[in-house]
Amino acid sequence: MERYRDYLSRPTFILIVILLIAVWIAKIFRLETTDYLITIMFFIGIAMSLNIIMGFAGYVSFGHTVFLGISGYVFALIVYYNIWLAEMLDMFYGLPIFMIAILAGAVSAVIAILVGIPVLKLRGAFFAIATIGLDFAALYIIKAVIPIINPEFFGAQIILPAYALAYKDNVFVAMYLTFALVLLTNYFVRRSRFGMGLLAISEDEDAAEALGVPTTKYKILAFALSAFMTGMLGAIFGLNAGGVDENLFNLAHTIDMIVMIVIGGIGTVMGPLIGSIIYFIIYDTLLVTYPEFNLVILGSIVAVLVLFAPRGIIGIVRGMTIGGRRLRDIIE
Amino acid sequence: MDVIIKIDGVTKRFGGLVALDKVSFNIHKGEILGIIGPNGAGKTTLFNCITGVYKPEEGRIYFNGMDITGLPPHKITQLGIVKTHQIVKPFNEFTVLENAMIGALFGKRAGKITKEEAREIALKNLELVGLAEKRDELAVGLTLHEKKFLELARALSAEPDVILLDEALAGLNPKEVDESLDIVKMINRDLGKTIVMVEHVMHAVMNIAERIVVLHFGKLLAEGTPQQVAEMPEVITAYLGDKDLALKFVRR
Repeated sequence: MERYRDYLSRPTFILIVILLIAVWIAKIFRLETTDYLITIMFFIGIAMSLNIIMGFAGYVSFGHTVFLGISGYVFALIVYYNIWLAEMLDMFYGLPIFMIAILAGAVSAVIAILVGIPVLKLRGAFFAIATIGLDFAALYIIKAVIPIINPEFFGAQIILPAYALAYKDNVFVAMYLTFALVLLTNYFVRRSRFGMGLLAISEDEDAAEALGVPTTKYKILAFALSAFMTGMLGAIFGLNAGGVDENLFNLAHTIDMIVMIVIGGIGTVMGPLIGSIIYFIIYDTLLVTYPEFNLVILGSIVAVLVLFAPRGIIGIVRGMTIGGRRLRDIIE
Repeated sequence: MDVIIKIDGVTKRFGGLVALDKVSFNIHKGEILGIIGPNGAGKTTLFNCITGVYKPEEGRIYFNGMDITGLPPHKITQLGIVKTHQIVKPFNEFTVLENAMIGALFGKRAGKITKEEAREIALKNLELVGLAEKRDELAVGLTLHEKKFLELARALSAEPDVILLDEALAGLNPKEVDESLDIVKMINRDLGKTIVMVEHVMHAVMNIAERIVVLHFGKLLAEGTPQQVAEMPEVITAYLGDKDLALKFVRR
């Protein structure tokens, strides 16, 4: 009884560790191409980043791609001008690429805090709509400003300089580190007092506040943390693609993230993790076999799930028991 | 008697409606205070002003001599005033134990308490209200009566000095009312908590409270012992209706 939580949360931790090892082994033995692994990690990563604010705190950030976009562009700009920066700062190599990705993520976090202070006062659908507005606003600002900075950024497209593209393996390591950060952050937040407070907010915000949970502070922190991780993934996605364009702001990515969380089960770590793996496999398989029906089939699967299992795969199994212990306690 | 909460000229308006009109009275340390009044008298609004949900337009509220007017609700909870909700608000997907643990983790000792300590406090309070056996069940499956007790256990786990009970007895059958009253008395007597209760179950509040405050259209109509209040003509016309009936409540 003493170590109730610690003990019960371990299966999720084990799953995270297995996943991290599996990706590394796949990389070493080249079971898949490096690009494929980077894409998987990106997909799972963005879902798990959104999970902090949507899964735990219950706030659907519908324009969450805004942070992919903002950080992607900040990253690309710094990388583009890194040589110039190096001269100015009197450094031989300029800033390391991974550090630039962290910086880019931090910019998203700061914007999330500034925007979150007014916007997180809105509840439910209004918050979702406000974040969509944020996505559009940021997109139009980027489209207007980027070509002014340098005429080479025609059509708000930044192509990274050759030095940043040298090694695919470096991109893999950067993505791998970020991926590990996102998964472990999810795990530790879910188990922490902060995590319990967020879940209480998603259950009943007024009751949480009345019991002493600093709801405003927690929501803003969760939004910033989520934005930071999404932003880092956006930056490394840009690195992998060799540049950024306005597609990073495409709301379709948000729908991907939300669907992955909903398939798996809201409010848990294991749910969205399993959900995003399944989503990626379906998405990938359908894309190859039936490229023209891909979205139709995926959409139908999602509709059925939402109708019959609103709390996702985890919701179906959480009531079951194994050896006298409820699955809910084991998987969360 | 020591004053624990001082309500000083509190006015709260909603548009043109004056929900509270210069209400002033004191809550004494260690007492059970009943607040009664017809629907719309401003009882719940008063609770919401004390707990920081609403900010009054005029007047101040002091807790242990400290001005708490306008502080956010979670700060007031952490200072030591906790409210239970008229309409129960359990965290449905949490277990009963986790519900109470939230109270302990974010209450008076927020941040200075380990999860183990929080669990012990939560369990102790669940035992007190008789929910310890259901600790691993999801709160969504409890009956209304159990959910009300869970509200109480959760509030107690925050380790407050003052507990505000907002119609904690509404919707309960007579047996459950008696059970609840015993627990409220015990919390007051054995744990030394000050209790303020808004209540419509008249015989209950008249019996258990040491003092009664009567609100009427946002104004303080009367203040005194249950006996005194039940005999005041203005209270009878405004709320109780019949003097004999009112005194019968006190005697029961």
